[in-house]
Amino acid sequence: MATVLVADDSETILLLMRTRLEMAGHTVQTASDGQEVLDHIAAGTVPDMLLLDAMMPRKSGIDALRELRNAGWEMPALIVSAHQNRDDANAPTDLEIEGYVTKPIDFDRMLEKIAELTS
Amino acid sequence: MAVIGVGRFVQQRQDFEDQIARSYQVEMQARVEVARGTGGQGARGTVAQQAERRSELRDEISADTRDTALLVAAGLLAGLTGALLLFSGLISSMRRPLEELVDAAGQLAAGDRSTRVEVGGLSETATLGAAFNEMAAELEQEESRREQLDRLKDEFVLTASHELRSPLTSVQGFAELLMLDRDSLTPRQQETVEIILDNCRHLVRLLNDLLDLTRSDAGRLQVRPQPTEVAPLIEDVVRTMRAQTETDNQTITEDIPPNLPLINVEPDRIRQILVNLLTNAHEYSPEGASIWVAARAVGAEVEINVSDNGPGIPADQLERIFERFTRGEAGLTQRVGGTGLGLAISKSLVELHGGSIVAESTVGQGSTFRVRLPIAPPPALSGDGADGQGRTAAEAS
Repeated sequence: MATVLVADDSETILLLMRTRLEMAGHTVQTASDGQEVLDHIAAGTVPDMLLLDAMMPRKSGIDALRELRNAGWEMPALIVSAHQNRDDANAPTDLEIEGYVTKPIDFDRMLEKIAELTS
Repeated sequence: MAVIGVGRFVQQRQDFEDQIARSYQVEMQARVEVARGTGGQGARGTVAQQAERRSELRDEISADTRDTALLVAAGLLAGLTGALLLFSGLISSMRRPLEELVDAAGQLAAGDRSTRVEVGGLSETATLGAAFNEMAAELEQEESRREQLDRLKDEFVLTASHELRSPLTSVQGFAELLMLDRDSLTPRQQETVEIILDNCRHLVRLLNDLLDLTRSDAGRLQVRPQPTEVAPLIEDVVRTMRAQTETDNQTITEDIPPNLPLINVEPDRIRQILVNLLTNAHEYSPEGASIWVAARAVGAEVEINVSDNGPGIPADQLERIFERFTRGEAGLTQRVGGTGLGLAISKSLVELHGGSIVAESTVGQGSTFRVRLPIAPPPALSGDGADGQGRTAAEAS
């Protein structure tokens, strides 16, 4: 089981994510925006993978991931987006993203993907 | 010229008449003198002279008449030629601006709202040109206003659908959480949560359909086809649908032969179409109904069939089934949560892939929807690297 850092600006979503991930046996860390994700990792608590909301105030999940990739971090990342597909999410093609999770979240599919990425 | 000629002719004629009259007068006097016997030989000579004089005058006037007629004819001809020249000049000075106007109107009608004409030529065509330019400017303004409104509408739909998704995720997520622990719920609580979940799913479909429709209207509905395996796609959809069909004791049977060729589709879009077809089969069929999903290769396509033994669709509804906001009778009376947009969107999507979709139904026996999708070109031709698994499947076909 893995340590997953989840970032979302909605506390309700964070609670939901934490509950489902913990029920699946994962350890969960949370952040409320991209900057907190960076601070978290800079502070030395490095997760096995990232679950980042695409749009957050202060710093988006995509911007945070770009900075992490530039700094050489290679842990797998899933981007959570309210948009239906990649085009609408304005997802950069040059950024290494392991997958997208669409809201509303299909948790079974998401947990499967997480298990796959952290095995 | 002709007029002057005629004037001169009239004057000559007048002179001629006067001279003839005078000649008769002189002759008469001479004849009176002869009759009286007072004129003698001189008067007799005058009578003969006057007759000769008149004959000369008559010759002269007839020659003059001929000259005048010729002159008049020449004048007329010259006038006509002049008029023709003037007219053709007029025509050609109008023709170019008019041709320009016709061309510009064509371009404007074809959608180039920036079309303008050069205002010139006669004052009438210039006025016409100015009026045309004014009209084109108004049209252009109107169009840009409409485009702006369209953009605003699209943006609004996109934002609204985006903003609604987060709370919806929470509602659906927590309701699912409750259901994970369903044994600790009373039957009544379970039912309540099921209703919440049903409505969440309905809302999601509504939002998705709304988005697709907005994109479709804006011509922005796009697909990115890639070589895709049919079987996992169908299995995936059937798996997610089972939770719903099992509550109604409906069965889904899959009939997918091994080694089907890869199809050239965007997997998410085909998943969306299959979910739509299966949801329809599920919602329009009674408890305990059977649903089948089958696939087979037909020529350069793969056909995926979704059938049910539900109530079927009457012929008059079947004709319009792919139109927007068309819903079966059951959709209006029962718990069916459709938006009336699903099949219209499915049809657009299938056609964007270069495929086709048809519906067949017998009332009382059930319905079948047949989706045909193009087979992916072989990897060697397509040039892009299909993964190893894909190639194997393609070679196996």
